[in-house]
Amino acid sequence: MDFLKRFAKRLGFTLLTILAMSILIFFLVEIMPGDVAQTVLGQSATEESVAALRDRMGLDDPMHERYIRWAGGFIRGDLGESLYMRGVQINTIFWRKVGHSVVLALTALLFYVPLSILFGVFAGVKEGKAPDAIISFVGLATMALPEFVSGIILITVFAVGLEILPIASIIPIGENLWQNLDILVLPALSITFVMFGYVSRMQRSSMVSVMKADYIRAAILKGMPRKYVIFRHALKNALLPTITIIGMNMGWLFGGLIVVETLFGFPGLGSLTMSAIKTRDIPLIEACVLFITFIFVFSTFITDMLYAFLNPRIRYKRGDV
Amino acid sequence: MNTYLLQLKRSPRAIAGLTILLIWIIAAIAGPSLLPYTYTGMDMDNQMVAPGQAGHLLGTDALGRDVFSRIIYGSRSILTIALLTSLLSSIAGIIIGFTAGYFGGIVDTIFLRIMDILMAIPPLVLAMVVLGILGNSTIAGLTIIVSIAFTPATARVARGALLTCKSTEYVDAARIRGESHIYIMFVEILPNTIGPVIVEITARFAYSIMMIASLGFLGVGLQPPTPDWGMMVIENKSLIRAAPWTVLYPSLAIASLVIAISLFSDFVSKVMINED
Amino acid sequence: MKTEPVLEIKELDVAYHTLTETVVALQGVSLGVGKNEALGIIGESGCGKTTLFYAIMDYLPVTASRSGEILFKGEDLVVKTPKQMTKFRGSKIAMVYQNPYSSLNPSLTIGFQLEEVSMFHHGMSRKEARQAAVETLSNLHLGDAAGIVRRYPHQISGGMQQRICIAMALLCKPDLMILDEPTTALDVTTEAVILDIIQELKDKYNMSLIYISHDIGVVNKVSDRVAVMYRGEVVEFGNQNTIYKNPQHPYTRALINCMPRAGVLKENTQLNTIPGYVSRRSAAETGCPFVARCEKKNATCEEKYGMVERQPDHFSACDRAYATDIPDKVLSREKGSIPEGSEPEHKTILKIDNLYKYYGPHGKRIRALDGVDLTLERNSVLGVVGESGCGKSTMGHTVSGLMRPTRGKIIFDGTDISVSWRKRSPETLRDIQLIFQNPGRSLNPSFTIENIIGRPMLKLLGIKSRQERRKLIVDILKKVDLGEEYLYRRPKQLSGGEMQRAAVARAFSIGPNLLVCDEPTSALDASVQASVLNLLVDLQKDSGAAYIFISHDLNVINYLSDYIMVMYLGRICEYGTKTEVASSPRHPYTEALLSAVPDVDPSLKKGEIRLQGAPPNPTRKIKGCPFAGRCHRKVGSVCDTTPPPKVRFFRYAFRLLPHFSGNTELGNKRKGH
Repeated sequence: MDFLKRFAKRLGFTLLTILAMSILIFFLVEIMPGDVAQTVLGQSATEESVAALRDRMGLDDPMHERYIRWAGGFIRGDLGESLYMRGVQINTIFWRKVGHSVVLALTALLFYVPLSILFGVFAGVKEGKAPDAIISFVGLATMALPEFVSGIILITVFAVGLEILPIASIIPIGENLWQNLDILVLPALSITFVMFGYVSRMQRSSMVSVMKADYIRAAILKGMPRKYVIFRHALKNALLPTITIIGMNMGWLFGGLIVVETLFGFPGLGSLTMSAIKTRDIPLIEACVLFITFIFVFSTFITDMLYAFLNPRIRYKRGDV
Repeated sequence: MNTYLLQLKRSPRAIAGLTILLIWIIAAIAGPSLLPYTYTGMDMDNQMVAPGQAGHLLGTDALGRDVFSRIIYGSRSILTIALLTSLLSSIAGIIIGFTAGYFGGIVDTIFLRIMDILMAIPPLVLAMVVLGILGNSTIAGLTIIVSIAFTPATARVARGALLTCKSTEYVDAARIRGESHIYIMFVEILPNTIGPVIVEITARFAYSIMMIASLGFLGVGLQPPTPDWGMMVIENKSLIRAAPWTVLYPSLAIASLVIAISLFSDFVSKVMINED
Repeated sequence: MKTEPVLEIKELDVAYHTLTETVVALQGVSLGVGKNEALGIIGESGCGKTTLFYAIMDYLPVTASRSGEILFKGEDLVVKTPKQMTKFRGSKIAMVYQNPYSSLNPSLTIGFQLEEVSMFHHGMSRKEARQAAVETLSNLHLGDAAGIVRRYPHQISGGMQQRICIAMALLCKPDLMILDEPTTALDVTTEAVILDIIQELKDKYNMSLIYISHDIGVVNKVSDRVAVMYRGEVVEFGNQNTIYKNPQHPYTRALINCMPRAGVLKENTQLNTIPGYVSRRSAAETGCPFVARCEKKNATCEEKYGMVERQPDHFSACDRAYATDIPDKVLSREKGSIPEGSEPEHKTILKIDNLYKYYGPHGKRIRALDGVDLTLERNSVLGVVGESGCGKSTMGHTVSGLMRPTRGKIIFDGTDISVSWRKRSPETLRDIQLIFQNPGRSLNPSFTIENIIGRPMLKLLGIKSRQERRKLIVDILKKVDLGEEYLYRRPKQLSGGEMQRAAVARAFSIGPNLLVCDEPTSALDASVQASVLNLLVDLQKDSGAAYIFISHDLNVINYLSDYIMVMYLGRICEYGTKTEVASSPRHPYTEALLSAVPDVDPSLKKGEIRLQGAPPNPTRKIKGCPFAGRCHRKVGSVCDTTPPPKVRFFRYAFRLLPHFSGNTELGNKRKGH
């Protein structure tokens, strides 16, 4: 009952955040300097054609009407029409790119989550010893590197040096992502670099603090073997904060995608956002940024629910059986 | 103060980090006046020469510009912006976070909700969109926007630091002798949060470098011909086979600076946390 | 009672090695525990009690070294490998810890944590283990054992958690159970129940016990023999009555005299204090560990020191406790400052009228204060006692202005001050001072002592000149036995006792008329507590200020109060003069509380009243007597429906008369006024 209440409350808040975000993004982008119609048509356009376009785009309507029209379209699944590529419905290009990005993000998650948890736990158990020092140092160094720097280093080694992976992540015309899975490896590894450092350090410190808890002492002095204590008593408690960290960093991951996709020329949401900004394609910018926000807010929501579900202190209230 | 030095002596990692950071700071201050080339100077006879040839320590790019000189010049802008950003966002964060945390109640709830909403856009995306729309970034513009993008995070840290002190009895003691809110916040509490605040500023310094380099890389940072490390990487990316030094050395410059700061900030956080 | 020893420790040394020095934690400890015997170990913090228990269990940090013999049924545990030790831990030797909540894994069910013990040590299947767990829990009188095993630790109360921990220790029917301050985190009535259970189980399972505590009274309740530890050594060891009545070691005697205890009142006796503080021990040190602080020391302390059997079964390392060559400190105090009933003027300084304080949102609000009335006169001490959550601190905080009452009036010196600090005049702020429980948290660690004490002088007395302030600060520091050199120190450079003295100095520096002391000595060791209590009594006598002294410790309250108020669930149970409340309680709760308090003197055995259950949910509105649900003298449904009548007995102090008192009197102890 309590869990359901929490669920409803958080869901409501999540939707509210998305609403607030959409307003923020809409007005942020709309107050951009310069006449949109002029920008689209170029400096040489006549005044009449600019006015005609303004009228067609509804740019002279009041701000809130335009927002409602835009947001209403979003809810119906209509993302609008691209400004830069005249006449192209954003829907037709958007979802394919999003699909690519999701595959890339999942690949990266598949790389870094098990890896960083494993090494984090190991470092935490061996606190203060050589393995801990090495893992912590590697984590610190990889965490500090911007994605494009680790990407350049990876390209230099694997693409230029060893020549076993492609330099750029380009899908040849007529093929799809599944036929070119090798293009995922280097971008996913670049993300893994940053995330590994972050998550493994968090995992380590939560493991260290759990291993110092009274209940771990109690378990050891109950005569339980060390390995059993680590896996049955310590691990679950030490994993809880990590789940939150991973969820909260989904936003960071998608921010990182923009950089990585730009570096590798990967045809995803990130490079689409980038090119939308470069070409000042307002509807496309709005769609991209809102979607990134949506992913972040939603993954935070899921993490929160997962955390509450896995943590008996939240799941069961005092006095319940 | 002595104990900090003593602990520094025992930490080779922190010494390495601090040394590299100092080298970069000296290079940024004094470097440009010692260099034989300017960052725009094109040596048309020596385009894309390999490192060490024709008097170019780290080679030249496709326009014959000296890579080494551009890296040294580039350190100025990135260090300046990063330093300003970390200070500005920390100060703004302390003021906002302290106010919210101290007064609590409805002020705090509103603050938390706004922060949740602002944090929903990754700082990099936020800065990129705003800078991309505004166009023609300057040092001042970049500093302000990156600071704003960072403020929700620093405000949260400051709020958390304040909350650990707010419930202590010395704050209660100050209240019941009728001290003002400002006095309690900044005279009673602030000195006791100085540890986490310093840790936050140093960590923020490293994040700022990452962020500014990434923005430069995305082409929304400082505009050419100002040398910018991130921009140097993306400009020359197509040369990665023909002239890898044009891409690799700016990348390594970023890597060395960020790792150095991180090593140092890791040390700072260990020292500051152990102290309590 | 000599039996085959279950555990015999011989010449056990433990030292911690850091890069720069070696610190001795245990030095030549020799002890024995016989079959079905209970050994109590007492000592102040830092005396090595917990290290001793870790040393037995081989749970010392890697920087520690251990030598000597620990014979458990003839087997030396010191030479066992960690793997061999797992056979002993939890199975033959079991532990119970101070904090039950943090000792239970929050993410595993209670059942799981119980079952794994039998599964590992007895190779049971999960089903058998579950049955064994339920059985053991039933033995501890835990009602719904089968339901409890499905719960998580956070779902049950603290007293219940500690019973689970005891059950966990019992599962393998150990030969020896070590309890490390198992009731320190619990309320006194819960403590009494737990101590009963421990007593009962010891005989039922024919176990030996080692009971570690800082509280001599608690140790007395469960132990046959007592060992006194000081700075890593056992200084005295023997039967509990002998130790109390005839201590041989000067430290033992000094420690007992530090404790507020039956028959010791501020009017006639000062508490003993031990000068100096517990210092670290280096490897080079020899002789008596207490010599630096001992008042009976002479030239022989170094060479004649060592454990000797002074009387049958009574060992001590020194026998100078009552040495006559050095006279005893005079501990008597001249007649108290307010002779009862004879003082001409009883001027009221504080009057509280029907005070309410609610927390939390509507519907879920907690009634921290539920209609409290009291009157306090100048120059008197009101002791407020009650268990955690009874509202005693809330009461103190509303008086001092930290929070605003929900309803009701607080009249101080003729002015209505039922507002928070923000709306109080500087005079009121100056007149009412608050002393907090934890001096480490009430003194701002960033400031020097001079700034800490000087700030209220500047703010509330308006003394602008730094020199003038400094002069006054030095004066007040002298009064609390701190020298001028403390001006420039920061709180972290002070010991706990010194910090609390500085806090007292801050409160007194501006001449308050009312001092609210919120558990000011609860975080301090017995000898330090004594010095702070003495100081507070002396300052009260000199200044004539009134005190509201809040504490959970009835011994302390009894020592220094003139009036006592007992609180339960936000209401007053009983309020009267010290003698009235302490010697002829009217309210059954007071009676239960008094019977639960552990006595320092082991020969005082009191009536045993054991409260069942827990206080009711504070968010519920209670019509009748809040104590009715747990009352051992409940009359009938009238207790649930009608609040007990208030009856005035002594001047304006009133007491709540329980429903039955019309025809019965508690224990026939009532003395008329």
